Amino acid sequence: MLQSKASRRYYGQMGAKLAVAAALAQVPLRAGAMQADATAESGTTAAQVAITLTSDNGGTCSLDTNSVPAGPITFTVTNVSATSLTEVELISNNRILGEKENLAPGLPAVSFTLTLGGGTYQIYCPGASDEMQDFVVTGEAAPKAEGGVTAVLEEGTVGYKNYVVGVIDAMVTAVSTLNDNIVAGDLEAAKIQYPLARPFYERAESSVEGFVMEGFDATDNLGNLDYLIDMRESNLDPDAGWHGFHAIERDLFEGGEITDDTKALSAELLVNVQLLQTVVADIEFAPEDLANGAAALLEEVQANKITGEEEAYSHYDLIDFAANVEGAQQAFAFLEPGMEMIDQALTDQVNTEFENVLALLKTYRDDSIPGGYILYTPEVRDSEGPTLSKAVQLLQEPLARIAEKVATAV
Amino acid sequence: MSKNGSGSQNAPGREMSRRGLLLGAASAGSMAFDWRAAAAAPAVANLEGEEDAIDLTQSIPFYGTGEQAGISTPMQRHCVYMTFDLTTTLRSNLQVLLARWSAAIAQLTVGEAIGQIEPTRETAVGSDTGEALDLAPASLTVTVGLGPNVFSDTFGLAEQCPPLLRELVSLPSDRMVADISGGDLSIQACADDPQVAYHAVRNLARIAKITGAAITRWTVLGFGRASAGKGQVTPRNLMGYKDGTRNITEPEDFDQFVWLNSGPEWQHKGTYQVVRKIQMNIENWDVDPVSDQNRIFGRHKVSGAPLTGAEEFDTPEFDQTDESGQAVIDPASHIRLASFEHNEGVKILRRGYNYTDGINQYGFLDAGLLFISYQNDPANFEMLQRKLGASDLLNEYIAHIGSAIFFVPPAPQEGGYLAQAMFE
Repeated sequence: MLQSKASRRYYGQMGAKLAVAAALAQVPLRAGAMQADATAESGTTAAQVAITLTSDNGGTCSLDTNSVPAGPITFTVTNVSATSLTEVELISNNRILGEKENLAPGLPAVSFTLTLGGGTYQIYCPGASDEMQDFVVTGEAAPKAEGGVTAVLEEGTVGYKNYVVGVIDAMVTAVSTLNDNIVAGDLEAAKIQYPLARPFYERAESSVEGFVMEGFDATDNLGNLDYLIDMRESNLDPDAGWHGFHAIERDLFEGGEITDDTKALSAELLVNVQLLQTVVADIEFAPEDLANGAAALLEEVQANKITGEEEAYSHYDLIDFAANVEGAQQAFAFLEPGMEMIDQALTDQVNTEFENVLALLKTYRDDSIPGGYILYTPEVRDSEGPTLSKAVQLLQEPLARIAEKVATAV
Repeated sequence: MSKNGSGSQNAPGREMSRRGLLLGAASAGSMAFDWRAAAAAPAVANLEGEEDAIDLTQSIPFYGTGEQAGISTPMQRHCVYMTFDLTTTLRSNLQVLLARWSAAIAQLTVGEAIGQIEPTRETAVGSDTGEALDLAPASLTVTVGLGPNVFSDTFGLAEQCPPLLRELVSLPSDRMVADISGGDLSIQACADDPQVAYHAVRNLARIAKITGAAITRWTVLGFGRASAGKGQVTPRNLMGYKDGTRNITEPEDFDQFVWLNSGPEWQHKGTYQVVRKIQMNIENWDVDPVSDQNRIFGRHKVSGAPLTGAEEFDTPEFDQTDESGQAVIDPASHIRLASFEHNEGVKILRRGYNYTDGINQYGFLDAGLLFISYQNDPANFEMLQRKLGASDLLNEYIAHIGSAIFFVPPAPQEGGYLAQAMFE
């Protein structure tokens, strides 16, 4: 679990790509790949390939033939005794065309059918003694794909970018209102507006963090927009001091008054979210960025919302929790049309677990409270934390596998 | 564990006495519970026989034609026990979970990773978490249990339910806490290296989530065996008493009291696992005079001999009285109430471990016994515990706070998986 935003160097590459001063990287073009159909046309006789996994040599993946004519081909996978192998893929140029997972000795054989043009492919059995084997399809090469999964995924990244832009626009509006309340010295109005301004950043944060302002060193938190907007007390950098939402939260909910410092913090926050708004307009995402972003939002839930650290003074953690989940679900939703072509079972599993988490969150709704959720007090945290964290755990593991899928899609 | 530590333990054919192992661990400086080792090693090393030596390179096969490993297997030094709640209503998910667990356990017990630790693709997450890399098999056994809810109409398995599997009845002195009781699946991972055992449980818990079939419920880390297997010197529980002197060790007793040998054939060599988390009132126990402690157990603390005898394995003379006509072994003592002589000849296999959870909310040491028993009829456990819970002198110092029951199917054969027959 990535505990500290300040230490989020894991996303360094992404951060570098998004750095304000740097030219934004283009979405890499997918290599042209062979057309692959998930199912054979009915009435056509598919060529048969049997793949057998055994424990020989610490895990062996053998094919009964490694050359078949072009056309529909059915691959039937049987794990006879290979305890170390759980997965088989048919790949071309490092792109997955078809695969089977959760293979284990004793389970019934499973199969997938693809329509392949002539060319050399590979059968990839992660961890096998013969991990990568050539598989030759004779006959004419298939025409280059016009659309395919890559195009569908790319379309999703554009849609997601629009979503992020919309979220940040809405944040600027909500923070402006909060700032108006604070400038007016209206504590009660500011305390009501605070939770209403919070969810936007939490919906998109993993996709918009990592911006370093021009002229600042990458390790200087005073140039780190995410630090300036959303840093919690538990991860403060003494050299940079406290800025942003949670410093304001402290004044409103712990201090119980609006001071000149509060007003300065609020004005600074408004400037910084407006800066973020301009930066976001130029972001481009690769499909795996959406997947990694969704996974990172769930890490946020587990690290900071479950613990009640995020909204330590106001206890509005469940608003942020729901926003993180919503943001993750949106990112996944934009990948979903492509993911359905890649791995329907995993797509269904992720959808089911999202539904379970959202249904659970619904049980904590209370529309009489600003933001719409019960307060996440220490008592609520102690009684409900394990239930909430387990529901998210069941979503985290399958979701963590999406990035690899979309990064290797045709 | 340092390179030196693991390297020397992995040296082929190099057997280590417990003392040798513990000194090795102390020099490595990172093995848990060094304090216990450091304090106990010199004396115990002198008492333990050669048969108790630890060889971390040993591995115990998972596949077989009889019972699962980890029941009659001589007890390893450490145990991580975990139960799971099912999170699926799909029969196929349960099937895939048991098959993937079986394959993974087969890997783990020979000291292999369950999959790629550092996948070739940079966007991929690892299959194995990696912390057991370079560690020896350490006699790891992983024993899987199926709780009553597995055998439900939801999974189309109601008709496969082992005849005597059911929730345990409420028993005298039960002080059960829901959060550390029950479960639909159980994993008992025992090894001579605690990191090997923990790695196994952690990775199996991950597979549960990857398949969407189950999620963790409760867990206990057992750090020292508190019952003897065949050929082992009787170890001590945290009360300082030898535990398991009269435990089941002979094949005839296993056949009579532990293994199922009737009912559906796929259940033969299965057994019922009963688990109880027994908290000890450590501070109060430590200020109780040893004479009273001896009376409570019915044995001498150091020698383990019954109060009517001189040696550990002397048969207790429950009818013996002193000059004043009082029973030498108190009628409410622990060994008398638990003895087969007073329980219709019934014996159960005990395979417990000491545990600690740190310091509790009241400032007491939070520790006790993870009691694990195996029997071919859960009613046998209930008969013993009904008597103990009602009258045992020890009850002043202990509380049963967690409880669960599971059917433990026989081992799968290579190419198959646990309880496969019930799906076919």
